[in-house]
Amino acid sequence: MQQLDNQEILMKLKSSKQFWDIKKKIKQGFNDQQKIGVNDIQKFAQSCEIEDQLIKLISHILKKSKKRETLKEDQIEFLNTSKIKWTELLFKNLDIVHQKTKNQEEDDTNTDSKLYIYDEKNLLAFLQTFKQQQHSALYQNVQFQSNKLLNINIPLKSSQQILDKYQYLLLQEELQDEKINKIRKQIENEHLDIELEKIAQTFVPNGERCLLYLKYFEFDHQETILQQNFTKLQKECLNQLFYDELLEIDGHEISEDTFYFVFQEQILTCLKCFIRDKTIKENIRIQLQNGIKKEQTEFQLPITGFFPFKNISKYVAPLCYLSTKIHIIYALFKEFFCRYFCFLHAISSENNSILSLCMQIEEIISTHSPKLFHHLKVIGCDTLKLIIHQLVYCFVGDMDPPHILTIYDQIIGHDSLEILVILCVGFLNKYKSKLLLAKNYENVQQIFQELREDKFQELVQFAYKQ
Amino acid sequence: MSEYFRKYIKKEHYANHYSNLKFKTSFRNCILEAFKRRLWKETDGDDWDIMWAEKEWIHEVMDHTHLQSNQKINHFRNHYELTRKDLMIKNFKRYKKNLEREGKQEEANNYNFFPLTFHLPSEYPIFFEEFKRQTNNGDTKTAWIMKPIGKSQGKGIFIFNKIQQISQWKNTLRYNQDNPQAEAYIVQKYIADPLLIGGKKFDMRIYLLCTSYQPLTLYLYRTGFARFTHHRYDNEDISNTYVHLTNVAIQKTSDNYDEKLGGKWNLQTLKLYLMTKYGQEKVAETFYNIQMLMIRSLQAVQKIIINDKHCFELYGFDILLDAQLKPWLLEVNASPSMTSNTPVDFELKCGLLDDVFTIIDLEKVLTGNEEQIGGFDLICKGTPIKLPINSTFTTYLGAFNNRQQQLKKIAKSTAIRLAQTYQESQTKAIEVGSKGQKEKEEKDKQMRSSSKGPQVMQNGVNGSIKTNNQTKQNTIIKRNTTNLPTLGTVQNKSNIKRYPLQNAGQQSQQIQQSQSNSSKKNNPNEDSMLSANQKLQKLTQESKINQFQPYKQQSQYNDVMGMGSKNLQKNEE
Repeated sequence: MQQLDNQEILMKLKSSKQFWDIKKKIKQGFNDQQKIGVNDIQKFAQSCEIEDQLIKLISHILKKSKKRETLKEDQIEFLNTSKIKWTELLFKNLDIVHQKTKNQEEDDTNTDSKLYIYDEKNLLAFLQTFKQQQHSALYQNVQFQSNKLLNINIPLKSSQQILDKYQYLLLQEELQDEKINKIRKQIENEHLDIELEKIAQTFVPNGERCLLYLKYFEFDHQETILQQNFTKLQKECLNQLFYDELLEIDGHEISEDTFYFVFQEQILTCLKCFIRDKTIKENIRIQLQNGIKKEQTEFQLPITGFFPFKNISKYVAPLCYLSTKIHIIYALFKEFFCRYFCFLHAISSENNSILSLCMQIEEIISTHSPKLFHHLKVIGCDTLKLIIHQLVYCFVGDMDPPHILTIYDQIIGHDSLEILVILCVGFLNKYKSKLLLAKNYENVQQIFQELREDKFQELVQFAYKQ
Repeated sequence: MSEYFRKYIKKEHYANHYSNLKFKTSFRNCILEAFKRRLWKETDGDDWDIMWAEKEWIHEVMDHTHLQSNQKINHFRNHYELTRKDLMIKNFKRYKKNLEREGKQEEANNYNFFPLTFHLPSEYPIFFEEFKRQTNNGDTKTAWIMKPIGKSQGKGIFIFNKIQQISQWKNTLRYNQDNPQAEAYIVQKYIADPLLIGGKKFDMRIYLLCTSYQPLTLYLYRTGFARFTHHRYDNEDISNTYVHLTNVAIQKTSDNYDEKLGGKWNLQTLKLYLMTKYGQEKVAETFYNIQMLMIRSLQAVQKIIINDKHCFELYGFDILLDAQLKPWLLEVNASPSMTSNTPVDFELKCGLLDDVFTIIDLEKVLTGNEEQIGGFDLICKGTPIKLPINSTFTTYLGAFNNRQQQLKKIAKSTAIRLAQTYQESQTKAIEVGSKGQKEKEEKDKQMRSSSKGPQVMQNGVNGSIKTNNQTKQNTIIKRNTTNLPTLGTVQNKSNIKRYPLQNAGQQSQQIQQSQSNSSKKNNPNEDSMLSANQKLQKLTQESKINQFQPYKQQSQYNDVMGMGSKNLQKNEE
């Protein structure tokens, strides 16, 4: 972390528009006075909230100057070794996939579309292996009985804390048009992270969402740069990579979704650029795979430092509803992935990581809906296996795009993925009565194969219904 | 669906029972299926009640045939005044000029939804002048589109931006009259900045049913399509027709045509997309403008089309949105394709046709004043159904298509009304019959209680049924009023009735509350399982849930998508 001295803070202050607005205000306040003392200014500043604004602005600058380092090592040692194992496993998968594609080239009749390095089920299965490992290490002599799929000793937030945090969503008030217009103006004029987060937490009007995201990621005055970067990446796409093929296969699933098939081409372009983007490695908040070079493998990790996985397209798709400009869609996707979605694929003890989120969900379901939890256990379809898909892919494909974007709002608003815990719990609660009647895994699958319509607000309500 | 009518209305209450109805058609697609689903009988002869004919049949046969008063046919005699590209433009231009002459400048200005168009070869000199003027102004990029008159499915269309590209065509026309290519064309300024979604161009197909031109009676179908091109849009490359033409017939021949989805979005999805990007107001305004565009198109030809009570017509409007979300009319089809390329498409078109048949009302069960029938909303009856002045622009176009629930409702209310009138006519018959008897009795003894008896009984029965029915109607039906006396009130009432949608959020909130209450009752087992502590917690949480106010966004979404009314109906059922 780097420290700023006063001079640097002042420099940064001067580069922000708000600073000059404040200065102008002060000048106006002392228009006709000849001599102005420091005390006068202080009094004036206090009286019209200028001081508050300045403090906020400075803290904002300080916060921004902290460059987030990519998390490489986890505080829990065995997770570090697990990450290496996970990477090894993926390298093996890559070899298999590569072999398959080779065979396919020779034999055209065998069109196996299931070509991917890993999917959410693989990830969960891998997480499950932790249980035994840790037991043998920590509870060697203790007969520890737990029904939970994941039971690992990592620092967890209490689940009640999460429930409390999002409870305000239930009390969301109906907003008048006047209020909405006010929010619109606010988004246009606001530059401070905290304020933008507050807006995202409560309500983002349709049509203003793209602007809010861009501002929050500080892209709002950089359109030409974004465009240039994107064109550069697009040029690089001319060199074919093996991974391109996987991404193309991945795109097929999205092309079957009514909401997104129109964007298939754009999504693919974004992803091809994504795996060639050198800046991702330094921007991503957590290292996903521990890139060890293997001597004999033909392939290496992409330049991003991690493998593209199945359904990666799903993260891009909803963003296509925000802008017609592909470089903006790409920039938003990149930022969303580097800041948030990466945690959904990270073997880590961080609060946002897939491991924590899964354990939170199990915790809440097992305490709040024990009957459901046991029933699912008995019929051999664990709670987590049920919702892992929704969790890892942020409900994309399960909800209409506007609802997905509301989830994205919440992620930005709280700088956290915990909203997914709430929604997963709500999701299970919603289908609880049906699930309790299911006698086996097939029944459960049938329930979810039926036409269903899930909505953000609805799931939030169900989450608190018990 | 018509099956609701069959389910609720008793056979003897039909003015014209469906088993007596016969249809005739040469089509073997959704049209046949929709006919069959109504349990009508197919006929080859001239004893049909309804005929779904090809346009050519109308031109060739209709003038020489005498139609029975009950017979209905799916085209107006001179529909081509609207549906042939050149005549449509000619009529629009003329109507606009008339409006200007009458001093209705404001309304005339509204006729700006078609691109600058010339008829070739007759207007070639004017076109050439315009083209020259443009090039002189340094604008060499503006493209023009040539469309052969009277061809459909995108056949023969090409785009050009150099005059040489059509001069050759001109020569073939001039010197070789027998050449089949030498047909009349229209040339239109090409809309160069269409709205692109996913980098692709699209147009909308929207269905409008006209049952009469005097008074102009129009029903707009809530569902339509957005049809996408399969290639990225490129303004520079004007030779690739895949990029520019959205016709399914053309796109099907493209290599990467996706069978499963047919390259289409339904209007609801399109609306969702536009809403997340442009906000609710802008999209509502756009869809309202589309509705007005359609009404204006028909108003322009209202005096030209020969009105005929035998005729109705289902138009397929092709509309393009430009980057500013302004709608442009590309063309009007008199016989929109009723062939489906996906199962979803098939159901949609069958449903659409079924609703058309319900509105045509061969069974004579409706009042003719219904504002919504299936997926169709009445948007014009004599004059456009006007919206309150201060309301945000609104239309049901692209709203949630609640046709199933709506038909169920309308079938129920119709059944009640028919039963009532049936009973009234029966009692009248009895009264008429008993009158003679009464006179006899009166001659014998003037005051006898026995003669009073049945009359009192009748009144009693009648009265109680009426009130009963009325309350039922009030609860079941909100939008569908029967027996509206005059047109003026139709409009007024519609104004009032279109308001509730905006409160839908509030109402759905109540529903959600009641739902949460009911689900509470359903889970007594659950309660016993919880510890006291948890119960306490639950109680506090529940009190909060009851205060719940739905998310503004959700309700907005409901408003525009018409979801609110969907919930409402669920509740009513």
